[in-house]
Amino acid sequence: MSEVRDSFIKFFTSLRVTVALLALSIVLVFAATLDQVNLGIWAVQEKYFRTFFVLWDIKGFPVPVFPGGYFIGGLLMINLVVSHAYRFRFTWKKAGIQLTHAGLIVLLVGELLTGLLQDEFQLRLDQGQTRNYSESYRFNELAVIDASDPQWDQVVAIPEERLRDREPIQHERLPFRLVTRAYYPNAAVQMREQPGGATSQPPPANRDIGAKLAIIPLPLTYKQNERNLPAAVVELLGPGNASLGTWVVSTMLVQPQTFDYAGRTWRLAMRFERSYKPYALTLLKFTHDRYLGTEIPKNFASRVRLHSADGKTDREALIYMNNPLRYEGLTFYQAGFDNNDTTTILQVVRNPSWLLPYVACVMMGLGLTWQFSIHLLGFVSKRRRTSA
Amino acid sequence: MPLRTTRYLPLLLALLAFAGCRDAKIVTYRVPKEAPPPAAANAASANPHAGLGIPAPGSGDASAPANMASTPVPTAEGGDLRWTAPANWQSRPGSAMRKATYILTGASAAEQAELAVTAFPGDVGGNLANVNRWRNQLQLTPIDATALAADLIHLDVGDLHIDYIDILGPDAPDRKRVLGAIVPFNGATWFFKLTGPDALVAARKTEFVAFLQTLKTP
Repeated sequence: MSEVRDSFIKFFTSLRVTVALLALSIVLVFAATLDQVNLGIWAVQEKYFRTFFVLWDIKGFPVPVFPGGYFIGGLLMINLVVSHAYRFRFTWKKAGIQLTHAGLIVLLVGELLTGLLQDEFQLRLDQGQTRNYSESYRFNELAVIDASDPQWDQVVAIPEERLRDREPIQHERLPFRLVTRAYYPNAAVQMREQPGGATSQPPPANRDIGAKLAIIPLPLTYKQNERNLPAAVVELLGPGNASLGTWVVSTMLVQPQTFDYAGRTWRLAMRFERSYKPYALTLLKFTHDRYLGTEIPKNFASRVRLHSADGKTDREALIYMNNPLRYEGLTFYQAGFDNNDTTTILQVVRNPSWLLPYVACVMMGLGLTWQFSIHLLGFVSKRRRTSA
Repeated sequence: MPLRTTRYLPLLLALLAFAGCRDAKIVTYRVPKEAPPPAAANAASANPHAGLGIPAPGSGDASAPANMASTPVPTAEGGDLRWTAPANWQSRPGSAMRKATYILTGASAAEQAELAVTAFPGDVGGNLANVNRWRNQLQLTPIDATALAADLIHLDVGDLHIDYIDILGPDAPDRKRVLGAIVPFNGATWFFKLTGPDALVAARKTEFVAFLQTLKTP
């Protein structure tokens, strides 16, 4: 065993490994930066950095072609930690370098935790509107809602991926099975009465609005200011596989589609994945100042009221650039505006490790200051001795 | 290097299997009921955009259409058109493809016209199809390209080429009028459609045209 251990230590304390990993990371960052033109920032982060391997799709099979960010970053961290443990000995003279390296470790760990734990959502509020949930930037869900209770909605939220997989979906809270008959990762839905190529096709579904719609598949978008709007045709099957009908579901359809089955009222809605909170935000006022005589934004700010369900919190807050609202582990940033300045867009971020980069920077700053000071003092005292 | 790579193969395979996974679990929860959607919104035949997040005129439910976040027009790039609406137009929240809604009131609060700003990818069938769709909503017969050319009024506002039309519905006690403008912009088509009682919409025509003149590219 000791042979294996020694070979491990020898490998991971090697400066060559450090240099090789740094070279690989340069190539990775370079390729990712170029690919950002095609994929946008989100997809690039997922494809190149928040993965162990960069995968290429070759004839439908994902083939690893290059080590990803987690792989290189992980090995760099192991390299750094093992080198610290086995090669470096603590001395006050080298304490600065060691503190700087420790800061680097904290930075790497921080990025790993951010990648694993961070959630980003969006909260859109029209002036005067109150919401107790935020919506995902990228993920969508099919909500099957039992709306029979006059006060509560019982929601079964099915992630979009499950529709894409086309496996029949059976859930203990649903008295029917749900089968995907067609799935479009990005599509527009239009009324069939609008003349155009798509309307010559038969209706995609036989229930509700689906009988009047045409689905127009669109190419996937990777642009930062756009998102893919998936659509699907789903069929609900009762006992004995008796069809209850087919529905078109799409994130473009705002109103849920309602139907009655098994003595209960149900609603179907494809929507951006929601994250409900035990509190709500109301947009009191949105202000957007521009520099005089121009369209250049000077300041945009949202005055919101935060009120919790238990009544313990009820306060106003002003959110503007670089002044987010922090509440219960979430940070609400001012991200944008819409609808002629009557809608605010807040970015809602949960990042339990948000402090780590700051801690890392302080550690590295102190370490470098310490190291340079020691050198400076040594240099000054040497000069004094020489001149004396 | 004394390392034998075969020793680390299982580890590498485990890492590979772990790469790019997201837990796509079905979740269930109970939430307080939201404001119900307007009755039969998706099945409504009077409103061709019903179900596309666009409330029927006068539905009066400001919160329902905004249940879903307003989404970008899939083919539109580089932001939305901008405009300046007169202060006496009451703004309503936007929704999926509805970029803005304004309510114009007449002498009484009950007398209302609605201006809907919507955007769709592509040319949505072209001007003739779109105008005939509006005519169909007013229960008018379709017109041909020659009649369209005579009825359509062209406006150039900055870089925008705007076509608008004034359509009067059939004679009836609640006679309707539509002022509709079609604006191609950035791979999408924007519609500015003012629908309401004939007298009210006719009286606000100058205001509508002045509003079109305020359209700007981002």
